[in-house]
Amino acid sequence: MPPLIVEDLRYPHDGSIISVARLSVETSGRLVVFGPNGAGKTTLLRVLAGVLPGGPSIAAAYQPQHSHVFRGSAGWNLGLGLDPEQTAWARTLADRFGLDAELFVGSARALSGGERQRLALARTLARPEPWVLLDEPLAALDVADRMDVAASLVASLNGKGAIIVTHDREEAAVLGERVAVMVGGTIVQEGPVSEVFSLPADDRVARAVGVANLLDGIAAGREGPLSAVRIGPLHVWGIGDLEEGAGARVLFGAEAVTLFPGHDAAAGSARNRWPGEVSDIRETGRLIEVIVDVGSPIAALITPGSREALELSRGVRVTLTVKATAVRVIPR
Amino acid sequence: MSFIGDVLGEALQLLGRFGAELREVLWLTMVVSLVATAIGVVLGVPLGTALGLGRFRGRTPLLVAVNTGMGVPPVLAGLLILLLLWRDGPLGSWGMLFTPQAMVLAQSLLAIPIAAGVTAGAVGGLSPIAREQLAALRLGNATSGWIAVREAWPGVAAAVAAAFGRVVSEVGAVLVVGGNIQGETRVLTTAIVQEARQAQFGAALALGIVLMALALMINSALTWLQLRERRS
Repeated sequence: MPPLIVEDLRYPHDGSIISVARLSVETSGRLVVFGPNGAGKTTLLRVLAGVLPGGPSIAAAYQPQHSHVFRGSAGWNLGLGLDPEQTAWARTLADRFGLDAELFVGSARALSGGERQRLALARTLARPEPWVLLDEPLAALDVADRMDVAASLVASLNGKGAIIVTHDREEAAVLGERVAVMVGGTIVQEGPVSEVFSLPADDRVARAVGVANLLDGIAAGREGPLSAVRIGPLHVWGIGDLEEGAGARVLFGAEAVTLFPGHDAAAGSARNRWPGEVSDIRETGRLIEVIVDVGSPIAALITPGSREALELSRGVRVTLTVKATAVRVIPR
Repeated sequence: MSFIGDVLGEALQLLGRFGAELREVLWLTMVVSLVATAIGVVLGVPLGTALGLGRFRGRTPLLVAVNTGMGVPPVLAGLLILLLLWRDGPLGSWGMLFTPQAMVLAQSLLAIPIAAGVTAGAVGGLSPIAREQLAALRLGNATSGWIAVREAWPGVAAAVAAAFGRVVSEVGAVLVVGGNIQGETRVLTTAIVQEARQAQFGAALALGIVLMALALMINSALTWLQLRERRS
């Protein structure tokens, strides 16, 4: 299966125009289209899906953001558009997504929003097309279930390529390998998720993704609700439940990082304490973003007052602390 | 008031006897109306579904035609069929004029736009979410249409009821193409016209009551289907 390449796509949207110069997804790759509400993500996906006319023709299974069940049993809804073999596969997937098989005999109208979404995801992934286009696939689920379903979803793609729309940073980090940030109808940055989220290309991207730290490593142990992740020389503790040795991704906001002067700073209950050197200082509106090299670049947000108090400049030695409860550890 | 009382008394008396002639008229009315309704539904509901769901070339003029067709005077539809079936007309060789078949044909012409128009409204009124999901399922036109009809069922049932109501109550079309021949093409509405013209008000009212009972029966069945489906 060749990679998916879309070029020079233009489509009217909300009084303006969606204009995508180039969008490509590697074979079996997962691209997340990320951006604020109203950026045109859904319209882009609908054009790609062929629901709106004038787009490229892609052999893709598409699931809109709001799943709808039709009059009939849940089992019948699950099998819509599928042959018996695909329906059996859809049932397996539904089970993986946590949908109780007993529900299939009852009316689909009795399903909750989350159950409908799981059913729709199972049905979409059971389709034969080599690409799937998913619009906010986790939005209808309880927050507590999202990461589990996301991991199952990624594991169930079976070599299919995916374009997934979301406006949630964590979801984007779990679901995507690459991310295209969409603002005002255009894609303003595209690249690996960790790169785009930790090094936004410009203000528009930074505003869209938030200033965040996103690091990839290997799970290295558990303790209660916490998991440790080894990232080069760093040991990062965060909320998560991962098997030791599993690929892990660590996420925390730049606002969660506290800076102390020097390398022997003490104090506090923070599990994560890393010595490093200031490598960059950037103004971001009213706050200041400080990049500290602790083996990996970590972004911290501080006020101009703190900057003066700490006498920060490039090369100054500082210690970073981040509370483990502010760090999210997710499967990669 | 004694006039109305007398007429009512006579009508009830006639209803009590329920003679062979009345049975014949009732039977023909049911057959002609139900067959015309069935044809109207079989052709009109798919047409209406396509109009309600689709974005195809020619949709707008077709919708205008259907909406106009919903208001065509029955006597005009009758006239059209009369011209087609007339001895020297294009279909004159069929020899169908002044037969129940011709009446079915004329009434079908009335039923199709009603069934199509009301169905188009019902299907077109499905939520954008339902329509988007249906499009995403890529089911092909026939299956998509079938699911849309099920989804919009209460509205589609109303389309069937409206089509039946249109044909069972009209007099112009069946009169023009059927000729109101006793024992052959006389139905309840044409019989009412006939009796009223001859000042046989008791007989006319008796026929009217039978017509209303027939409509009540058919619509009760349709309403039951409409509500039963809604609960599932």
